[in-house]
Amino acid sequence: MNIWAYIIRRLLYVIPVLLGVCLIIFVLFNMVSPDPTLIMLGKHASLSQMEDLRRELGLDRSWFLQYLDVVKSAFTFEFGRSWSTKQEIIEMIKAGAIPSLTLSVPAFILSTVISIAISLFVAFFRGTFIDKGVVFLCVTMMSISSLAYILFGQWFFAFKLGWFEISGYEFGFPDFAPYVILPVIIWVMLGLGPDVRFYRTIILDEIYQDYVRTARAKGLGEKVIMFKHVLKNAMIPIITYVIIQIPFLILGALLLESFFSIPGLGGITLNAINSSDFPVVKAMTILISVAYILFSVLTDVLYTLVDPRVRLK
Amino acid sequence: MKKIKFFQTLIIGLLLTSFIGCTKKTTSNESVLNLAVSAEVKGMDPIYSNDRYSSNEVARVYEGLLEYHYLKRPYTLKPNLAEAMPTVSADGLTYTFKIKKGVMFHDDAAFPSGKGRELVAEDFVYSIKRLADPKLQGLGFWLLEGKVVGLDEWRKKYSELPKTDYSESVAGLQALDKYTLQFKLKKSFPQFLYSLAMPFTFAVAKEVVEKYGKEFLNHPVGTGPFVLPVFTQSNKITYTKNPNFREKKYPCEGDANLKAAGFMADCGKLLPLVDKLIVNIIVQSQPRWLNFQKGKVEYISVPKDNFDTAIPDAKNLDPKFVEKGVRLSVSPSLDVTYTAFNHDKKLFNNTKLRQAMSLAYNVDESNKLFYNNTAMPAQSVVPPGIAGFIPNYKNPYRGNGKAEQIEQAKKLLAEAGYPNGEGLPEITYDCPSSTTSRQTGEYFKKQMAQIGVKIKVITNPWPELQKKITNRNVDLYGIAWGADYPDAENFLQLLYGPNRSPGANGSGYDNPEFNKLFASSAVMQDSPERTALYEKMYRIAAEEIPWIYGVHRQSYTIVNGWLKNYMSTDFEAGQASYLRVDLEAKKKLMEKF
Repeated sequence: MNIWAYIIRRLLYVIPVLLGVCLIIFVLFNMVSPDPTLIMLGKHASLSQMEDLRRELGLDRSWFLQYLDVVKSAFTFEFGRSWSTKQEIIEMIKAGAIPSLTLSVPAFILSTVISIAISLFVAFFRGTFIDKGVVFLCVTMMSISSLAYILFGQWFFAFKLGWFEISGYEFGFPDFAPYVILPVIIWVMLGLGPDVRFYRTIILDEIYQDYVRTARAKGLGEKVIMFKHVLKNAMIPIITYVIIQIPFLILGALLLESFFSIPGLGGITLNAINSSDFPVVKAMTILISVAYILFSVLTDVLYTLVDPRVRLK
Repeated sequence: MKKIKFFQTLIIGLLLTSFIGCTKKTTSNESVLNLAVSAEVKGMDPIYSNDRYSSNEVARVYEGLLEYHYLKRPYTLKPNLAEAMPTVSADGLTYTFKIKKGVMFHDDAAFPSGKGRELVAEDFVYSIKRLADPKLQGLGFWLLEGKVVGLDEWRKKYSELPKTDYSESVAGLQALDKYTLQFKLKKSFPQFLYSLAMPFTFAVAKEVVEKYGKEFLNHPVGTGPFVLPVFTQSNKITYTKNPNFREKKYPCEGDANLKAAGFMADCGKLLPLVDKLIVNIIVQSQPRWLNFQKGKVEYISVPKDNFDTAIPDAKNLDPKFVEKGVRLSVSPSLDVTYTAFNHDKKLFNNTKLRQAMSLAYNVDESNKLFYNNTAMPAQSVVPPGIAGFIPNYKNPYRGNGKAEQIEQAKKLLAEAGYPNGEGLPEITYDCPSSTTSRQTGEYFKKQMAQIGVKIKVITNPWPELQKKITNRNVDLYGIAWGADYPDAENFLQLLYGPNRSPGANGSGYDNPEFNKLFASSAVMQDSPERTALYEKMYRIAAEEIPWIYGVHRQSYTIVNGWLKNYMSTDFEAGQASYLRVDLEAKKKLMEKF
């Protein structure tokens, strides 16, 4: 089957999935969540004002019409304005995406590369004290709360040693760099524990395969076996794991953004949830869903590139 | 190898830029005021500035007819864009303002040739109509609802029509000439003047609103001391001094205490006292605290977790801060925390039950646990600092954990018909889901257990809690109220029967005697007679225990030594223009940092 036909077919799946996503968020927000007019008007809400506001927001129309609105915005990406800040949502997302990405992309690349490298290294020394030591270290690192890394890192490296900015953000390259280095390092540290353990398991699974024994029997060197054969065969689970994380990168890192005052999408999403800002939550959910679907298509396509045995049907 | 080199270079490169970035310092003699705020700023449209953070930002650019005197306490209104305080008709219904001549809006492309035009009375008519415009759903309409002649009708009419017509006049809101503005009220409402010091009613220019349409909230153009060409929702807002600001001077009226505290040094100087104002939005308390200690922000309120480090004995600042020139500013906030009974539930119509529960609640201990012993136990609904508060009054049902009080509480509970809590159902206590609220709930549960009252703590996200209160779906709930304006009426209305939920009276307390007193006081101007009525209500609210009172909080602010004229206030609008950064002092003190 032609790869393009496959991609198009998969992309068409976006439609039913989006309809489902719309239905879920609609139900969650319109039937389960509290009355947004109450939240918006705050402590001085009066019945007549709430009624007026409901009319202005279109909440007095039938549920079906309101659902259609959600669906429409999902396909046109016209999300309207935030209920809470009154800002244009698409502009909020554009403005927040840059800081989030300047933090998440370098952090993601570094943590993936570093953890794969460490995993290959420990897999090479599997069973030895190095391997055991690293696994022990990983488990220890995973046991410490992420908040501890952030609080300590900010206090020690930024405040005590003064190596980095305590918090803040500047737009434009390279102005943003001094503000994101510390959060990036913390992000990488946070990811190392689980990632190294995950990649190590995948690589070890491959190492005990028959073809590795065959390669050794043929007299190939360990380096060639590790990089040329094992890593290549371990690529499918690695790609799945890596690519599935990408859509969430635009969300940034909620805690890191909050502690380092990085004006990213994480903060926008959190504020929106806290203030029942339905249009913003809706927009973020739809965006993430679309990105998720697109990247899962990309994963499938990449499978065929790294493993010729995979055929798309 | 190549790969490794690439990453080495990348990391070294990033580190280098970091150090370059860190060493980039401003060296000019510009005086810059750096503030830290702890929540996002929504936008710069006065009619939506219903939270403290947004309204403070709005008030840097926009101004209103009146403002609070910067130095006077208790809070006193004084003219700002008004030439003088208004003339009020004998029946207290007509307020006539003369506005200042020659006040200019900031320069903006919305005006012909980009130059700001003069402010006129009609601008206030327009701005207040905007607040009432049903299409815009301004969040401060409650201030004027039911008060200005013709305004509610105007609003109602256009809520049913597709477009609002601002040219249709409202009888109670008129510009008599270029500089004369007149309000006519439906009934006497002495608190009306406070509305005119709130950012909701600040003056905007029609041209600007029309030019930017829905984006108006990002294009603040006012008459105020600071200019912000475009607002973007980010981590930082940078204002510059308004070069065309009118001659507004730092006040010279102040007593000897203020003089001794250095508040009179800038008497008569032109405002604002800084060239630039940077507002840093730092949501978390640790970075706020660390930035303060690095001298990067001028003042912060002491974070709860760092309270013991900063103020070890709960009174004085730690010497290591004093050495660096840091000073502490403590001031009571106009607020009250409380646990409300839902008076719709028959169970709570039993006054003795309420009194017993109040007696069992040890407020002193809660003050220690949750406020580092810095708050004042509340005796009734009105906080200190405003007329209506009775200074040495002790609420007879105010608990402090002593054994005889618990005994008395048990006795009252038995008289209420529930000896040792027998026959009482489990009572729910709803609170917001923050850690402190949950702890407060658990503490409440423990206190009630002493007399056999069983409590179940339920935590809710804030909107959910509001919904439950509005729908009367609670037994007890823990909450707080902060003043909108410095008048006891703002607190007493929380217990006024006709204000029941979804109005401000969430507990649904309805006492005919209290209601009568409130209705009489509501139309009275500030006077000893009105204060007497306030005090009567204060006593009723104390002895009837419509709520179990918590505390009146105090704000603890630490201020860096180089910041001059900082005075704590509950009404921060406009504060920044009075603050001065002493650059010499800053240079010296920074050496100690």
